[in-house]
Parts: sequence; C-alpha cells; structure tokens
Amino acid sequence: MVFLDLALNALASGIALGCIYALVALGLAITFGLLHIPNVAHPALVIAGAYAVVLANMRGIDPILAALVLTLPFYAVGLAFYEFYARAFERRGRGNTLQSLTLFFGVSLIVEIALVVAFGTDLRSVSVPYVGRSFELGLIVLPYRFLVPALLAPAVILGLWLYMTRTHSGLAMRAVAHDERALSISGHDPVAIKRHAFGLATALAVLAGAALVIVGPVDPFAGRVHLGRVFAVVVLAGLGSIPGTLAAAIIIGVAEAFVTAFLSPSWAPGVAFAILLGTLALRPNGIFGTAR
Amino acid sequence: MSAIVEIRGVEKRFGAIRALGPVNLSLQPGERLGLIGPNGSGKTTLINCLSGLFAANAGTIVFEGRDITQEPAHVRARMGIARSFQIPRPFTGMSVIENLLVPMDYLPIEAGAREGRAMEILSSVGLAGRRDAPAEALSQLELRKLELARALVIEPKVLVADEAMAGLSEGEINDVLALLMRLNERGVAIIMIEHIMHAVMRFSQRVVCLETGRIIAEGLPQAVAQDKHVQKVYFGERAGR
Repeated sequence: MVFLDLALNALASGIALGCIYALVALGLAITFGLLHIPNVAHPALVIAGAYAVVLANMRGIDPILAALVLTLPFYAVGLAFYEFYARAFERRGRGNTLQSLTLFFGVSLIVEIALVVAFGTDLRSVSVPYVGRSFELGLIVLPYRFLVPALLAPAVILGLWLYMTRTHSGLAMRAVAHDERALSISGHDPVAIKRHAFGLATALAVLAGAALVIVGPVDPFAGRVHLGRVFAVVVLAGLGSIPGTLAAAIIIGVAEAFVTAFLSPSWAPGVAFAILLGTLALRPNGIFGTAR
Repeated sequence: MSAIVEIRGVEKRFGAIRALGPVNLSLQPGERLGLIGPNGSGKTTLINCLSGLFAANAGTIVFEGRDITQEPAHVRARMGIARSFQIPRPFTGMSVIENLLVPMDYLPIEAGAREGRAMEILSSVGLAGRRDAPAEALSQLELRKLELARALVIEPKVLVADEAMAGLSEGEINDVLALLMRLNERGVAIIMIEHIMHAVMRFSQRVVCLETGRIIAEGLPQAVAQDKHVQKVYFGERAGR
C-alpha cells in the first residue's frame, strides 16, 4: 500500500513537474530547436519573467493573468534582441555556435546581475489564494501550486502547436528551421521570420516564469538549475518538435519524481541526462525528431 | 522587345578565386535559354547571383527595367524570379502540400483558395497523389518535381531549373521537359542548366556556354554545339552523354 501510494504520487507530481519543465523548455525549443541559436540565456529570461510577474502580483494581479499581459513587452524585447544579434553576428557571417554561446552566456549573467541589483538576492514569491491547498483524488495528493501551473503547459503547447501547423507564419517558422535559402527563394525574408520566432520564444519565457514562481519562490539565479534540463528536454524531444517537448519533459519529470521517491533526491538532477544519453544512442534525432 | 533580365558585367569572387565573370547576359520575356558548361564553370554561381543568394562583387542585374542588384533573395522571388535547386531542398518535417503553402503567404490568393491552388500545381507536376506524404519520403524524381512545384507556386516570370533532370530516366526526362514546355507556353521565361545535352538542345531556343566563369559561346543550340571551343571544353570531357 505504501508502495502504491508512493508510486501514484510520484507519477502525479512527475507529470505536473514535467509540464512545468515543458513550459520552461518551450522557448528554447524555438530558439535552439528551430533557429539553431544556442540561447543559454533562456532560463535567465524565464526568471526575469518571474520577477516581472512578482511585481504585478504585488499590485494584486493574478500571476497567470499578469504573465499573459506581459507576453507583449517580452515579445518586443525578443524582437529587439534578435535584431541586435542578427546585425552583430549573423549578417556578418559570424553566427558560429561558440560566439553565440558566449554572447548568450553573457546575456544570462547580465540578466541575473540586473535582477540582483534591482531586487536583491532574497527569495521572491507570489501570493495566490490556492497556495497551501491540495487537490486530492484517492491516494493522490497534489498541491494546487503544482497543479495550476502544470495545467498552463498543455494549454500553451496546444496553442503554439496550432499556430505552427495552421498559420502561415507558423509554417514559415518550421521552414526556416530546415532551409533558410529555400525559404528566401520562396519569397520570405528569413531574418524577419527568425526575429518573430525569437520574439515568440521570449514571450513564452514570461509564461514559464509565472509557472515557476507559483510553484515556489525564486531568486535571481533560479534559472541555473533548469539550464541543463531544458536543453536535455529540447534535444530529447527532437529539435523543434512542439508536442515532443511536452512528452520529453513529462518523461523526465516522471523519472525524476520516481528516482526522488524510491532512490534518493540527490540522483534526480542526473536523470534527465541519463535518459537523454540512452535515447540518443537509439534515436539520434530524438523521440519526435525527423531526419534532416 | 526589351529584355526581362539584364545581367551586366556581373562578377563573383570567393576570396582570391574569381568564380564568375564578368558576364553579360540578357533574357527575353518568354525565352527558353539553355545554360551549359563543365562542372565548376560558374553556372550555379551565376544563378545564385541572379536569384540573390549571392551578392555579386561587381556589375548590375536588372529585372523588368528595375535594378535589383541590391535586393535580397526574397524580394526577387516576390518580383517573379523562381528557381529550383540542383540538390532538391524540400522543407523536411512537412507534408508535400505544406511545402507548397510556405511560399503562398504573400500571394494575392484568398486563404480558402490556397490549398486548391497548391493542388493544381501538384497535379500539373504529377504529385497530386502524394499531397500528404512527408517530404522526406519522396523518391528522387518526386523530389525534383516538388522542387519545380515549389518554384511554380510564386507564379514566376522567370524560372531557373538547375539540373532538374539529373539522375532521371529517359521517360522521366520527357515528363519534366513537357512540364517546362507547358509553363513556357504560358509565358514564363526559362533558364535551363543541364548536363543532359539532348534535353537542353531540344528545349532551348538559345544556348550559352560558360567556362571558368566566362561566356565562351552563345547562339542557336546547333551552332553552340558545333563550336570548336565548346566541343573542346565540354563535349570533349563528356563524350557519350
């Protein structure tokens, strides 16, 4: 009975955790998965989003509602940043991975330091009416602070997936991932499409930030623990696959929860990479990736 | 009749190597031009300069009286310059029909009519039955047809077919030739880059031969084929094709 209890709760919290990982990884699935930009600053942007949500929440606004509104300024920041990146790197033919990696690592540090300067290093949280209460179903007990942000993930992912498959700019975004030249001779400006995609990814960061800060308090460096895991999710999913991102994140979330429940919490952070290595040996393009 | 494309003194260098030029070439509206030359002679470089994938180091390119030398590739595509790639470059991870919907974004076609238009083009190249197949599942012939179909979506005034027939069987070559002829009858000017000599000779009204980045012969297909210089650089090393 204790075993069943533990297993069911590990499964439930693992799925919830996986949904939240998926939200954090979603922006990276676009920037790294589709645009091939190694945006290691994405988790830091997610935390910046969390702080923006905290500020709004201090004025009594619901975190998820605040995040939805904040997607607009974050989208604009993403556009501006991509414009800078394209001018400074890509158009001069210097968009190589190592230079980009260094740039985004620097951006990540700048974001963290800016947050420290503005807010200090204390933990910040949001107040929502459902914190402290739990959803109960038989043996399963899941705190609402996990459940509510976890439910945000499928909604956002469904929306993004519909956008990518049903709209022209979504189609063009998937095309830019495969062949920029073929896209440009099809009459699309690849730079404009990538700029839009980067803006979208940055807008997703604030939604992920809201989810994280509902789960628990954040400090300016809270993105770091997610960095390795989100890359693992994106690669495991198959670069750029949106439904794959959710599936991969849930696989990792559930595995981590089981390892935490039955082995030791210390092993949990390594789980993502163990799964990644095992999968890539069998499926080099990830679970949902297509051969290029 | 004034030319639809004017290439004037165009040069392309890669570092110290001059891959192309200077080249002067004009194309009349509705013309069928064959572009031949040995491998590495600059045919694809010339086309890359025309379609905007390479910026020419010197010279000007005029399309319908407008200087497009500085325009990026997507603007040229919208103006009506289409091309296929020598090695087919489909958008993988997408179905055949999605590949055709990508270029339709800016065309003045109502959203509801786009699939119908895409299907018309797929039918015209004989790919209608493969509309929902993933692009990576296509055969070599189907990929080449998709490559042409995607170029046709933008309703081009000029189409460059870069080795659209390489590796195809005789019957398949005839299919592609017939397709290009039908397009040409609708007024599309076509530049055909091809190593398959009988195809290019049959198709073209005028043939231009490039060697080491320069035009060494230009004229009626038969005249170019009999040019001594052309025979030396081209047929000499490709006897029997």
